[in-house]
Amino acid sequence: MMKSIVGAIMAAVLMLTLTLSDRMAAQEGPEGNRAAPSPRDISGFWELSVDGSNVPAAVLAPGVTSAVLDAQARKDAHAIRWCNILGLQHAMGSSRPIDIRQGARMIVIATEVNAATRYLYLDRRTHINREEFDPTTNGDSIARWEGNVLVVDTVGFDGNKGVTAIPGGGFRTADSHLVERYRLLNDGSLLAVTFTWEDPKVFRTPHTYEFRYQRLPQSYEPRPPLSCDPFDEERTRFLTGLPEAK
Amino acid sequence: MRRSRRAFLLFAAALGIVVALTIWQAPTASIAQRSESIAARPDLEGGWVRIDPEGSGSFGGLTSKFPRAVLTPAAAAIPAGRDPDDVDPDAKPHGPGDPYIVSQGRCGGPGGAGGIEPNSAALFMVQTDHEVLLTREGPGGRHIYMDGRAHPDLTRWTPTPLGHSVGRYEGGELVVDTMGLTPGAVTAGGRRTAETRLTERYRVTSDGKKLTITYTWNDPKLYQKPHTYSLEFDRLPPDSYAFEGWCDSSDPLQRQSIVPPAQLQ
Repeated sequence: MMKSIVGAIMAAVLMLTLTLSDRMAAQEGPEGNRAAPSPRDISGFWELSVDGSNVPAAVLAPGVTSAVLDAQARKDAHAIRWCNILGLQHAMGSSRPIDIRQGARMIVIATEVNAATRYLYLDRRTHINREEFDPTTNGDSIARWEGNVLVVDTVGFDGNKGVTAIPGGGFRTADSHLVERYRLLNDGSLLAVTFTWEDPKVFRTPHTYEFRYQRLPQSYEPRPPLSCDPFDEERTRFLTGLPEAK
Repeated sequence: MRRSRRAFLLFAAALGIVVALTIWQAPTASIAQRSESIAARPDLEGGWVRIDPEGSGSFGGLTSKFPRAVLTPAAAAIPAGRDPDDVDPDAKPHGPGDPYIVSQGRCGGPGGAGGIEPNSAALFMVQTDHEVLLTREGPGGRHIYMDGRAHPDLTRWTPTPLGHSVGRYEGGELVVDTMGLTPGAVTAGGRRTAETRLTERYRVTSDGKKLTITYTWNDPKLYQKPHTYSLEFDRLPPDSYAFEGWCDSSDPLQRQSIVPPAQLQ
C-alpha cells in the first residue's frame, strides 16, 4: 500500500517536472532569459569585444598621400578636441554597448558615446534627394531584408564633420558609399556586421571589414554618455600637448 | 492489493495530468493578457514634432500659461533654478537691436537625448516588447523598460538627467514611470529630486496624427498636489527623416549673440 502511494506521488512529480521543463525550454533561449529571437529581428543591446573585429588594411587610391592622411587626422583630432558629434564609425565601433531597436518602419541605433543616433529606414527604397539632404556624420540610411540579412545602404556623409577615419585606413568623404550587412549568428547571440566602403577618391577597391557584437542580457541598462567639456583647460593640455615623461 | 495499486497509479496519472494542464494554462493566460496589452498599444513609432496649439509664439510663452506648481513651503525655499523652457536666462524681453547671448556653444554635455521634455527638435520613438526607445537628433537615447522590471534602489543609484523609466500599456496609452532624476527645475515652477516620481501618459489620436504627453509630478515633500501639464505633438509625414543636430564649440558663430530685428507690424 505504502509503495503504491510513493509510486503515485513519484509519477505525479515526474509528470510535473517534464511539463515544467518543456514549458521553460519553450520560453527560454540560449541565454536562459529570453526566447530564441527571430533571425529577422536584431533588437537588443550589443557589445563589441576585443576579439570582435576583423579589419584588413584598406587599399587606398593613389591620391591618398601621407599628407592627405595627416590633414584628415588633424581634422579628426579637432573634432575630438571640440566635443563634436563623432559619427557613424565611432558609433559602430563604440567601446560601450549599442542599443538597436527594430520597428516596423525604421531601425534605431542609439549609443552611449558622443555620436548621433542612427536611423535606418525600412519604408523607403530611395535616398533623400541630395539637393535636399544636408550631409551628416551618419548619412542617409535605407534598409531592406534580403532573406535573413539586413542590408543597409548609406550615402550623404559629411567629409568634414566628426571623426572621418575608417577602420583599416582611409576616411569618409561626401562621396562615400557604405553598404552594411547585418546577420544574426549562434542562435541570435552574435550580430555580425560587414561594412563595405566605396569611394573612388579614397579606396582603390571596395574596403570591407567585419565586426561581431555579442548580445547582452535583456536586463542590461545603458549609462548616459560621458560628458565632454571643450572648455576644460586640463583636458585641452592633455589632448594638444605631448606626454611628459617623469 | 493489485487492484488497489492500479487504482492509485491511475489516480496519480490523472492528478499529474490535471496539475500539468493547470500549469500549462497559467502561462497561456499570461500570454493572452500580454497579447491583449500589445493589441491595445498605441502606434507611437516614428517622428513627432512639438507644437504650440495656443499660438503663444514660443515654447516659453506656451508653458507660462500652464497651471503653476503648488509647492510645499520647503520646496518653495529651494532656488528655482532655470526653467527648462527658458531659453533666455535673464527672461527679459529684448527689443530690436538689443543683442543677447543664447548659447555658450558648449557641446558634449552629459545626459544626452535632450532631457525629459522634448523641445523644438523632433522626437523619435520605436516600440519593441522589451523597450520603448526615445531618441532625438543628437547622441543618446531614453530607454523605457517594458519588461516589468522595478526601479533600482535609489540609495544605490546615481541620479541622471533622464532618470530610470519603466513603462506599460494601459487603456491604449503608454504610461511611463520615472524616478532617479537629477535635482532641478520643472516646467511651470516645479522642482524635482531623485525621489520625485514622474508619470507620463502618451496618447495618440484615433487617426494617429497627433500625440499628447501628459506629465504628472508627484512628491509630497515638494508638491501640495500633483503638478500636471501636457505637451502636444504632430506626427511627422511618412517621407520625413531625422536631422542631425550639429555642435562645434570651436565655431565662434556658435557663441555669437542674437540681435533681434525690427518686427513687421
